[in-house]
This record gives sequence, C-alpha cells and structure tokens, in this order.
Amino acid sequence: MPSSIANAAPAATAANLNDQQTQDLHQKIAATVGRIEVDDAKMSMRDVDVFYDDKHAICAVNLDIAAHEVIAMIGPSGCGKSTFLRCMNRMNDTIENCRVSGSLKLDGVDIYDKKQDVVQLRARVGMVFQKPNPFPKSIYDNVAYGPRIHGLAANRAELEEIVVTSLERSGLFAEVKDRLDKPGTGLSGGQQQRLCIARAIAVNPEVILMDEPCSALDPIATARIEELIDELRKNYTIAIVTHSMQQAARVSQRTAYFHLGYLVEVGETAKIFTYPEHKLTEDYITGRFG
Amino acid sequence: MSNADEQAAVVDIVTAGLKRRYAAERRFRLFGLLSVVLGFVFLFALFASIISTGYPAFQSTYVQLDIDFDPAILDISASPGSEELSAANYAGLVKHSLRELFPAVKKRRERRSLYQLVSIGAEYELRNRLLTAPSFIGRKEALWLPANDDLDTFMKGGIDRQLPQENRRLSDQQLTWIDALLEAGRIEKRFNTVFFTSGDSREPELAGIKGALLGSFYTLIVTLVLSFPIGIAAAIYLEEFASRSRWTDVIEININNLAAVPSIVFGLLGLAVFINVFDLPRSAPLVGGLVLTLMTLPTIIIASRAALKSVPPSIREAALGVGASRMQMVTHHVLPLALPGMLTGTIIGMARALGESAPLLMIGMVAFIVDVPQSITEPATALPVQIYLWSDSPERAFTEKTSAAIIVLLVFLVVMNSLAVYLRKRFEKRW
Amino acid sequence: MDANKLHLNDHISQQFNLELEDIRNKAMVMGGLVEKQVSDGLRALLEPNSELGEEVSTTDYRVNSLEVEIDEECTQILARRQPAASDLRLVVTIIKTVTDLERIGDEAEKIGRFAVSLATAQLRPGYYAELRHLGDHVKSMLHDALDAFARMDVDAAIATAAQDLKIDDEFESLSRLLITHMMEDPREVKNVLKVNWCARSLERIGDHAKNVCEYVIYMVKGKNVRHTSLDQMQELTD
Repeated sequence: MPSSIANAAPAATAANLNDQQTQDLHQKIAATVGRIEVDDAKMSMRDVDVFYDDKHAICAVNLDIAAHEVIAMIGPSGCGKSTFLRCMNRMNDTIENCRVSGSLKLDGVDIYDKKQDVVQLRARVGMVFQKPNPFPKSIYDNVAYGPRIHGLAANRAELEEIVVTSLERSGLFAEVKDRLDKPGTGLSGGQQQRLCIARAIAVNPEVILMDEPCSALDPIATARIEELIDELRKNYTIAIVTHSMQQAARVSQRTAYFHLGYLVEVGETAKIFTYPEHKLTEDYITGRFG
Repeated sequence: MSNADEQAAVVDIVTAGLKRRYAAERRFRLFGLLSVVLGFVFLFALFASIISTGYPAFQSTYVQLDIDFDPAILDISASPGSEELSAANYAGLVKHSLRELFPAVKKRRERRSLYQLVSIGAEYELRNRLLTAPSFIGRKEALWLPANDDLDTFMKGGIDRQLPQENRRLSDQQLTWIDALLEAGRIEKRFNTVFFTSGDSREPELAGIKGALLGSFYTLIVTLVLSFPIGIAAAIYLEEFASRSRWTDVIEININNLAAVPSIVFGLLGLAVFINVFDLPRSAPLVGGLVLTLMTLPTIIIASRAALKSVPPSIREAALGVGASRMQMVTHHVLPLALPGMLTGTIIGMARALGESAPLLMIGMVAFIVDVPQSITEPATALPVQIYLWSDSPERAFTEKTSAAIIVLLVFLVVMNSLAVYLRKRFEKRW
Repeated sequence: MDANKLHLNDHISQQFNLELEDIRNKAMVMGGLVEKQVSDGLRALLEPNSELGEEVSTTDYRVNSLEVEIDEECTQILARRQPAASDLRLVVTIIKTVTDLERIGDEAEKIGRFAVSLATAQLRPGYYAELRHLGDHVKSMLHDALDAFARMDVDAAIATAAQDLKIDDEFESLSRLLITHMMEDPREVKNVLKVNWCARSLERIGDHAKNVCEYVIYMVKGKNVRHTSLDQMQELTD
C-alpha cells in the first residue's frame, strides 16, 4: 500500500462543489483566457479532470505544450498545478484514490490509453522533483540508473559516454568529474538537483517535467538551474511548476495560471507579467492574495 | 504604563519563576538518574547471582586411578571382538583399582560407598577408550576419571565438613578417603568439557547442554528459514503492492494483534495443527521451528513494514520518475535501504524465539532426551526448556548447571543483539 | 476608470500599498505644481507681470526636485518589490509621466523668462489675444490630461490626446501670422521671435500632455499607443 507516496503528493484543496459561493467563483474561471492551442504541439491536453476521491482537483483543463518551449505553471498552493504536471507522465497512477479523465496526448498518442505502457511513457517524459532526491548511490550510478534499466547502452563504454554527456549537459561534469564514485547525496543541494536533472536527461526524454525544482535551493544554485533550463530547451520540451513568479517570468516562454483546479489564463510570459487579462491572474502575480 | 515598564515587569516575573523551574528540572534529572542506577543495580545483581552460581559448572572434578586393563577383570578373551568389548565389565576395572588404592576397606557396605566416589561416567569413558584403542588390553595406566557429583560438590565447597554425618551427602569415612586421595594428588579440577559435549543425563556430572544447544539451533534454523522470507515478502507486498482496502486493513489489524498473543497459545496451536492434524513428529525441532515461526512472523512483518515506511517517498518517486517498474523500484532502491531495519527486526524476533519456552512445552520439547539430536525431525529439547528441566531437579549439582545454561543462553542473546546493532550500523545508509 | 479600480489597497503587503499610493500622490502633486507653473507663466506673459515671470522661472527647481524624488522612489519599488502587471505598469507610467511633467515645467520656466523680457516690450494687442487663446487651450488640455491621469480614465485620455491636433493647428496658424508680421516690420523681429518661442513652448506642453494621456492608456490597457494615429489609438483600446 503506497500510502507514503500519496502523502508526498500535493494536497488537493480545490473544489467543493456544494458551496454556492465557490460555485459562482467556478463559473467565473471555468473558461480559460488566452490561446490554448499552439502550432507544433508536443503535448496536448483536452478536458482533463482529476479527482482525489470526491475532490475535484483539476477541472476541465485544456492546454497545449509546444515542442522546445518552456511552459511555466503558476498558481496559489493547492491550485492543482502539480497535480496537472504529474498527470503528464502518469505519476498520479501511484496515488490510489486519484482518477484522471480526459485526453492527454504526447505526439498525438493518448498517454492514458490502455496500450500505453507507463514505464515507456516515463522514459519519454522525465521528471525532476521539488526536493533533490538522488539515490543513495554513487554519482555515476545515479545517472547510469535510467539507461541501465532501459538497456540504452550496449556496453560499459557507451554507458560511460551517456553518463558523461548527461552530466555535461546538466553543467555538473566539471564539478564532479574527479569523484564520480562518491555518493550523490554528498553533493550540495544545487548540485544534487542538477544531478537529478542529469539523471532525468540520461534516458534522453522528449519532455522534462519539473515540479518546483528550485524551491529548496539558494539563489545562486537557482540561477544555475534556470540557466540550465534555458540550455535544455534546445533539446527538450520543458514544463515547470514554480511558486516563484519571478522564476516563471525568467525561464518560460509561456505561462499558465491555475486557480482552484481551473486553468484561468495562459499566454506569452511577457504578456502575463505585464498585462494579464484575467483579474485573478493579475491579483496573483501582483501579490494581492495568497 | 509604558512599554519599557511592561517589559521590565515581564523580566521581573520571569526571574521570580526561574528558581522553581530550575528546581523542577533538577528534580526530574535526579529521578531519571535514580531509575537508571536502580536498573543497573538489578541487572548487576542478576548477573552476579547467575554467574556466581553458574561458573563452578564449567569445572568438574577428576580422580586419578591406576586402571589395570586385565582381560580377567574385564571378563573377556585375550583378543575380543568389538561386541565383546562393549559388554565387558568396566565397573569391575574401576572397583578393582579403588580396592587396590584402599586395601583396608573390606566390608561390602564400605566398599560400596567407596565405589560411589567415582561417577558411573568413568565406565563409559573406559569403554570408549578400549573401543578406540584395543591395544590397551593387558596394560596398566594411570587415568583421570570423572568423580561423582557429591565429591564434585565437596571440592567446590558445597559440603560442610562440620555438619553431623547424617545431614550431609558424604559420610565421615568417605571424607577420610577423599583426604587420602587429595594427599596423594589424585583429585584435580579441570575444565568441564562434558558440559558442552554431551546431552542431558540423570547424573549431574554427566549432564551437558549440547543436546539442548543443537535443539535450539535446529529450531532457530527452521524458524529463520521460514519466517524471514515469508515475513519480508508479506511486508513488501502489504507496504508496496497491495491496494488499500477493507481486506488489507483487516490483515493489518490481525498482524498487530497476533504480535500480542501470548506465546503459549501458539504452542497449543502447534500441538493441535502440526502434531495432531499433520502428524508431524512430537518433540521435534521442526515443529518447534514452525510454532516459533508463527510467533515471530508478526514481529518480523511489523518491523519490516516500519523499515519500508522509513524509506523516504522521494526515493520511490525518483525511481518511478526515470521509468523504473514497481518491482525495480522495490528491489533496486527500497529494499536495500530497508534491509538493515528488516534484519534488525528479524534478529530481535529470533532472539525472542531463542528465549521462548512456553510454546515448546506444548509440543513436547520438554521431554528428557539424552541423545544429541542429529536432524530437525529427531526429538530434542531447547536451551530455555533445558534450564527449566534442570531447575526442577533435586540434585544439588544441577543448581550450578542451571545457572551455567542460563549464562550460555544469555551469551547467545547478547551475541544476536550485538549482531543486530552491527548490521544496522554497517548497512545503514544516510539520505 | 476610478482611482479605486487600481486596487492599490489590496496587496498583502500594506507597506507596498503605501509605497504605490505615495508615488502616485507625489506624481499628482507634481502635476498640480506644473499646472500652476504653466498658468502662472502664462499670466506673467499676458498681464504682463515681470515679477511673476521671475517667480515662475525660479520655482522650477521644485518641479525638478520632485521628479528626482519620485524617480528615486520608483527605483526603490522596482528593486525591492519587483512589481508585475498593473503595479509594474503603474510604476513605469509614473516614471515616464514625471519626465514629461518635468519637461512641461521647463517649458513653463521658459515662458516665465520670456515674460520677464517681454514685459517692457510694446507688443501688438493681437499677439496677447492669440497667445491667450492658445494658452487657455493648452492649460485646459494639461488639466484634462492630469485629470485623466488622476482617475486613470482611458476615454478622457483619448479625448484629451485628440486635442493636441487642434493645438498644433493653432500653433501653426499663429506661427504663420508671426512670420507675416516679421516680414512686414523687421524691427519687431526680436520680440516676435520671443512670442513665437512662447507659442512653441505652449505647443510643446500640449505634446507632453498628450504623452501623459498615452501613458494613462498604457497603464489601463497595457498597450503602447505612442506613435500611432488617433484612429489606431481608438482601435487599440477598444
């Protein structure tokens, strides 16, 4: 019974539909402001609903994510942004009472289809978590783990090449090249998070999901990660959930604002941060409510 | 009142109460210290009493006799077969040599009390000697043979010479013989190998714990082989795979309840199921192991689940996030991190099983068994049961045997617990 | 749009509310001061009153110091609060507005100086009439622009910005008239030129007022309408 995973998931505090006031509010934010569609959609979500038991955590969200873009998801705590992110590589499967409906497509193929293997999906859609969580193994083994279980390397030399490339891409190689056999847990917080990114990109995913990747890091480590995200955009599509609006403004091309499980507004980051159209978006990014 | 005044007043109030608060703290610390000291005192008293009564058992008294392997005394032919040797009159050898030592003793009753000084184990020893080396026949050898338990007790200071004759186990006459033997340097105390190499016996000087030790060992092996894999598999399934439902809740509650069930109940269960229904051999370590498995399983499952729960969920997420399957997640990441905790739980469960006697009584492992068991299906007894049996025996010499067996049991428990601590320290990983 | 609609009091941080309120108030105080400078300068020119003209030209420092002060506060807010959306637009609008207000103050100062030098000159009464006409127009436009700024009223801002065209026309015709006079009587060239400079200043004030209106539109609508025609402006804001 994986209750421990359930506890780690974001608490879904959205939607209690019985309440008249909230119902009114839901009416107000049910329709998303801004353009949902993009021209070259890597992922395409339509009418996504997520329930935790009877709690409606995500309500009819439509969103496209373009290839090679960084899309930031912002919103107050419990707005469902993390839940939505976790739907995109089916990490919510591990939560027992979680139910997902609607269509979520990766390159036009529904990822919740019965024929879709979840292991294969997670190889294509990698994930970086809020708290740096390297395995209690060596740095090398951390990065090599993904390629090993998927059998991506034919021999040791190939595996080593994958590890080195991944560490280089995550900007960590220069710092750790002399101690690849040392435990990954001995690195600093920022280095650990970059190790986790290296681990994610070692399987060469198409999409990388980042769930508040910098919330446990100091500003300099954060800046490094943000720089790295910008670099990674060349090869990967990135969706990032963040509590820091400045971070969303800095790293993303598009920004999506979630509220009470609804996608309230989505648009170019530059526009969202200077002239958001929806009042809730405005209130949130100007710090008018918590 | 200005704010500064209020603040000053607060300081005064706090200062006034400080003394009382510190006094309470000191009182508490004193109580804590006292209870720790009390605990140590009791522990020390326990160890002191057990060790002081038990240590003499590790020594036993031997008497040197000049044995004449005369075929005439042995009542055998000059070149006997092994069957003939087995049936020879070894008691006669001992008696003959004692008669030679004390030619003055003529009366039948006196002679008998003289013969009592040497253990009947001496005959077995002589037989073994001849069976392994028949060439001794016809030769005369000075041999150290085990003394009777009364002589042994006397040598260890257990018999008071000042008491009137009818109140002690050795007569005045026997004491004069003993003095004579001592004078001649024919009595000696040696390390008691018999204690570790033989099974139970009615004669204290011949009784050993090897049978009980092996019985315990076989029982524990059966318990370990069954309960470790079953317990860990159950824990992993319940913790990582089973979906939460009413059934898993029921199972969880029942496991917790089983852990609290008195062990004798498991014994009754074993008797009813394993022996009466499945017709397994009575008194066998196999059944004992099965019963103890039932008893330790809940402990192991609970400890293993706790160990699994303590593995941070972020590790699971990380593994799933790179595309590991559930099984890979468990075997590659969760299990290695949880294993030290599981091993600790298992060893503690095993230590409990080692010290358990009540359920074994139920399935007949309490019988008087002289033979050292050779397999898990042969009748055997276990260490704690052996202790119970000896503590019940009337002979004075069994008191020290009881304590000695307790010492051995405690040593094993300490070793097992130390192993648990060592394993935890050795394999524990920080994250 | 009502000033309340800026929701300046809704931030979680009360201090931030106060800071935004403060720069906005200071900008309005500066607007009032500039308006008075313009009106005083114009009065000094038309009465004529050299003392008042002198006063106008020496009071300009107050406008300048206010600009510096507001700029400083805006920088502080940018650095410490990292405002976004409407807050960001408000701060940007105020930074830009105070620059234009400061320029208007400069123009008022120029008018004050010309008023001093023209006080002793014998000018045709017709000039005063023309200047008064132009000046009143500019004054009212500046007032409307500041009003639109104070109320963050897009419609008023667009209407006010439209007035700039008329002012430009009026300046054009006055300019043409002055050129004619200069050609008729070359002795008057020096004074007529000064009159022309004053008219030119008034026209510039109109331009700055229009800028302020455009900032108001940017503030409310989030769209940059500078360097666009009025029709386009109307379209963008619909």
